[in-house]
Amino acid sequence: MVIIRRVKPLPYWIIPIIALLAGIAISVIILYVLMGASPAAVLSAIVYGFTRPGVVAKTFVALTIVGIALLVSFKGSIWNIGGEGQITFGLMAATWVALFTALPYINPGLAQASMILLAMVAGGVWALLAALPRAYLGLDEVPVTLIMNYIAYYIVDILVRGPWLGKHVYNYIRTDTIPSQVMFPQVPGTTMTWDGLLLLIILLIGVWYLLKNTSIGLRIKILGNNPNLLRSSGISVPLMIIVALTISGIIAGSVGALYLGGDVYRISYPIEVHTANYGYTGILVAWLSMLELIAVPIAAYIVSALYTAGIQYQILVGGHLGQLITAGSAIVDVFIGSILLMYTILITISEYKIRIIVKKR
Amino acid sequence: MPGSIASFIIGVSSIFLAYYLAAVGHGLMEKSGVLNLAIDGVFTLGVAVAFAISVYTFSVPLAIFIAMIVAALFGLMLAFITTKLPISHGAAGLSTMFLGYGLAALVGLPARQLQINGRSLATIQPSLGGTWIWFYVVAFAVAVGVWCLVEKTKIGAAIRAAGENPASAEALGVNVLAVRLFASGVGYALIGIGAALFELAYTQVWSQGAGMGYGWIAFAISLSAGRHPILILISAMIFAVLDKYRFLIAAIYNLPPDVGKMLPFVAAIAAMIIFMVTPLRRKLAPPKSLGKIYFREERSV
Repeated sequence: MVIIRRVKPLPYWIIPIIALLAGIAISVIILYVLMGASPAAVLSAIVYGFTRPGVVAKTFVALTIVGIALLVSFKGSIWNIGGEGQITFGLMAATWVALFTALPYINPGLAQASMILLAMVAGGVWALLAALPRAYLGLDEVPVTLIMNYIAYYIVDILVRGPWLGKHVYNYIRTDTIPSQVMFPQVPGTTMTWDGLLLLIILLIGVWYLLKNTSIGLRIKILGNNPNLLRSSGISVPLMIIVALTISGIIAGSVGALYLGGDVYRISYPIEVHTANYGYTGILVAWLSMLELIAVPIAAYIVSALYTAGIQYQILVGGHLGQLITAGSAIVDVFIGSILLMYTILITISEYKIRIIVKKR
Repeated sequence: MPGSIASFIIGVSSIFLAYYLAAVGHGLMEKSGVLNLAIDGVFTLGVAVAFAISVYTFSVPLAIFIAMIVAALFGLMLAFITTKLPISHGAAGLSTMFLGYGLAALVGLPARQLQINGRSLATIQPSLGGTWIWFYVVAFAVAVGVWCLVEKTKIGAAIRAAGENPASAEALGVNVLAVRLFASGVGYALIGIGAALFELAYTQVWSQGAGMGYGWIAFAISLSAGRHPILILISAMIFAVLDKYRFLIAAIYNLPPDVGKMLPFVAAIAAMIIFMVTPLRRKLAPPKSLGKIYFREERSV
């Protein structure tokens, strides 16, 4: 096998598409071998996902926002794998506003806005905590952000089982349902909320402006490509690492508020089982977008369709695996893993040619 | 109280060995220069495979063996794609991690269903027949073995060379691909055995997501001991005690049990930070080319 650099790289959109198809093919084979899932059923679940924009909308909005969030830090070569923890912290902050302040009864609009804003602050703080050892000690941010996801889960678990345990929950361990005033209104015919849609548009424009027209955006991009240039122009590299990761956490945190106000309306114990895993799934969105902001919604649509397909497949055929089983998230993980792996491997062929040469004896 | 000391030593033996093998395998792989971010996914998969095989065949040795083989295959794949192709070690590792999570659930769930329907699980009881003594013997034997392999043999020198500077190593006649395949294959085999013991000798229950996060603890154990096979004995012991007694610790201080769940993860971050701020970091520096893309076909002049 000989690998040669191409004179001209392939157009950048080709790789995600090939990776997607190859990844789906591998997933179908894995599901067939391990679960005996008929490929036709899996494919029809995928078609279902792709052809129901109304159903997919909720996931689409969440994953686009997470994708944007991760894009900001990935642009700076800071691998924020802690979206999940930042979302969980956002969820916690939003729950506090909704359940333990009088705001929902005084001014619902203001309450919804403060849920989202406080969720962003909480997500930002959680990311900042991971950014400090990365910036000043050089501790790899991947294990730190990942391990912090678990810590965030358990902090919320402690609250839900302790002081936040609801009064009207029968024997379930969960918080009370949030007041109807702060349940985000839905866009008719879809599963997404007006709040989510509005936030998505604001964030898309905001991050576009940040990366295109501000010095912070430029510095984050230089951080990703050539940190030595930053250093030699007198800009603090640790500070830029902190800025990139914190902005990423702030944006990701908002998804926690959307998840609470537009989807679950309460936190159930244990959160690590009830999470939607948007923080992990968002990594796939950010990578498939090739770190192009404009491609994030496209990637998010594809991924949310697959996400919905995984859940849908479970509903369709879940029966034969037994009733206790939540294989939906496992199927989503298989999709994510195989597509990402294909993408990581295939990215080579955009710049290199692979030739198999058989040696003659 | 000799009785309570004995029960302590027996109690932590299984989780100590599981953590030790996973951490030392991880360290061996990273010595050869392959950044290993897939550890948690493959650990989770190893746990699920060991559980499933144990339920299907009721054979502990077979369960450990299959978990080892499955994990080793993932190690070989990771070493191959990161050495042969110019791709990011981090991206390859994380994608494999997700694949591991998904496969783990798909492998474990049908066996869990069988178990609910009455099939039992073959396990190892550390307290039975002095098994726990063998756990410690194996840990120390592996520690000495890996240390000798890395520091005293030709293969070890080649592994370290591949981790420090693969281009020079290649020029001196080391086959970097073969060395990395060897280190990753053996490393992941150890991770697989560790995962199997975690399931069969320590937790002995399985539900979806079992083992998730513990691969990262092993990662932190290895990193905070500078990937040194002997020093990992100490950090693995600390985390084993913490893991075994975390609910007791939470109860003593009258804290909710979820604080206990959180403890190992907080300690993992603390251990990594301690390693980074103390002189340990310079004494036991990571391999210079760890995680750097090494692309043989395209050598800079």
